[in-house]
Amino acid sequence: MAEKNLAPEAGAEGELTLERVNVAPAQTWNRLRTNDITLTVPVRGRKGDVYFSLPRLFEGVECGMGGAVTDWVESQARGARYVEVPRDEKREEPIVVAVGSGDVADTGVMVRAGAEATIVVAAGDLTKVTGSSVRSGTSASLLRVIVEAGARVHLHEYVRVGSDQQHLESVGISAARDARVDVHQYLLGGGTVALGLACDLAGERARVDLGCRYHAGGTEVLDINEVVRQRGRNTRSELSYNGVLEDAAKKGLRTTIDLVHGAKGAQGNEAETVLVLGDDVVNKTLPTILCDEDDVAGNHGATIGSVSPEQLAYLADRGLSRADAEQLFVSALYEDALMHAPCPEARLLIGDSPQLTETFDEVEEA
Amino acid sequence: MSTQLLNVSALSAGTEDKPILHGVDLAVGEGECHVLMGPNGAGKSTLGHVIMGDPAYRVTAGSISFAGEDVTELSADKRSLAGIFLSYQAPVEVPGVPLYSFLRSICQMRPELKTTARKFRQRVGEIADQLELDQGFLMRELNVGFSGGEKKKIEMLQLLLLQPKLAILDETDSGLDVDALGIVSRGIQAYREQVGGALIVITHNTRILERLDVDRTHVMVKGRMVAEGPAELIADIDARGFERFERGAGQDEAACVDCPGCPKAGDAQ
Repeated sequence: MAEKNLAPEAGAEGELTLERVNVAPAQTWNRLRTNDITLTVPVRGRKGDVYFSLPRLFEGVECGMGGAVTDWVESQARGARYVEVPRDEKREEPIVVAVGSGDVADTGVMVRAGAEATIVVAAGDLTKVTGSSVRSGTSASLLRVIVEAGARVHLHEYVRVGSDQQHLESVGISAARDARVDVHQYLLGGGTVALGLACDLAGERARVDLGCRYHAGGTEVLDINEVVRQRGRNTRSELSYNGVLEDAAKKGLRTTIDLVHGAKGAQGNEAETVLVLGDDVVNKTLPTILCDEDDVAGNHGATIGSVSPEQLAYLADRGLSRADAEQLFVSALYEDALMHAPCPEARLLIGDSPQLTETFDEVEEA
Repeated sequence: MSTQLLNVSALSAGTEDKPILHGVDLAVGEGECHVLMGPNGAGKSTLGHVIMGDPAYRVTAGSISFAGEDVTELSADKRSLAGIFLSYQAPVEVPGVPLYSFLRSICQMRPELKTTARKFRQRVGEIADQLELDQGFLMRELNVGFSGGEKKKIEMLQLLLLQPKLAILDETDSGLDVDALGIVSRGIQAYREQVGGALIVITHNTRILERLDVDRTHVMVKGRMVAEGPAELIADIDARGFERFERGAGQDEAACVDCPGCPKAGDAQ
């Protein structure tokens, strides 16, 4: 246990500006305004609070949003939660990090060698689960995962916060030899959602498969920074992004595959598909492949545009007008999120979305 | 004689810069099965797309009426909701939309097909089994990464699900192996039996017709209807080809006066 030691004084409220966070390792011209994001977050005086901190081992795990956000979350979380999955154990029950409006969560998960675990971060209006009545403000989740040799981790991130809310999600993963990590991200709206993920493929043949699906509309802001450092030999990363932007939404996506010196035989692939449905959408992407080794392969591909005339014609032949067709792409995203939700908390976040054409609620139907 | 469902009258149409169809007439009664044949480039697929309301084509003369309504100016989505279905020769890939979501959405557009999610899943599952389509495909993106045969089965899945009054099958048999062709043929037969809808089958291959009772056969050459006859005409074409029809169409080219701006009969290429 340790004591919080923060300004302002205990009980006092304040604000802190986190300048230039969620930064990619390699940057482009500042005038393009795509290198980082600056966020203003609340600071609650916690001096004198007693809390549990994570084992120091987690301090070495790089997190996607950077050190400033890590420090802020550690200072604001009521306490850190540590979960360990014992060696060779397949944990059936998911490790759920439920982040309601205004909540700040600090979580560390140790998955021992040969073990398997599912981790779910569900951030949004979870009043049905937590009973919390707060519906505005800033929420955050800091998740650090250490995946030992041969272990498997399935990480699901569901974020759907209100249009007047801000959510920060910072993830750090360290994967040892033969470890496998699959990440499923559904970012389905919020006033400002900033997500950073850093995955260190440290051991030989470690692998990460990441699928991110997102939707932003109105004047929502979505900022994503994801870094995969491939240090081990024959490591593999597959990053896939698929999203829909409507109205005047703003999205920034920075992805970095870092093929570090010594990572012979490493392969990294990144692909993005963005559907732009609004005239005032701002869509910025900064894909980067850093390479300091000869025997490696890195690929990047992007498709950005609207629904093609051929697709519109095909969908019209099935009874969908242009507006219906465009809405289909949005509702399909929410339905996909709902169908793949691994726990009730994630389902609750999506279940009442107006974008859904049905609830898939077997109990309700019965 | 059955009640008339589709009436294409003196229809001329084409792309912005090229006429393709010239004064085409076609009448299909409710529940009838018509076969449309012709050499490559005759305009058969174009006719299917024009009946469906594809915005890539412009109607320059004539009219299309369906179920007693003039639909010549109606958009494709409205024609679809009215009960016309076009099965694509090469179905379009739609990344980002799972097949299941797509099927659910197109059924939700039709009040008569609205049902609970549970019943819908059951219905889709039954049809998928009938077509020997892996139900895991329902979670995959629409037509993305499917083989040619799987795409055709998905077209048949939609046909059986939507139960249209008129189905236009544009070379649904092309690219299918013998087994897949049998499954698709059974799907078409099921549509006829369960829905009782009318069919216009565009094909070069008579094998797909073996299970169907054909009412009329039409032959199209260079954008014109050049012959019409009973089901027996199919066997005749199978044995003798289209040459005699093409010769006849060549003689008529100079008389192509009914299509404004058309110097002579065109082709669909």
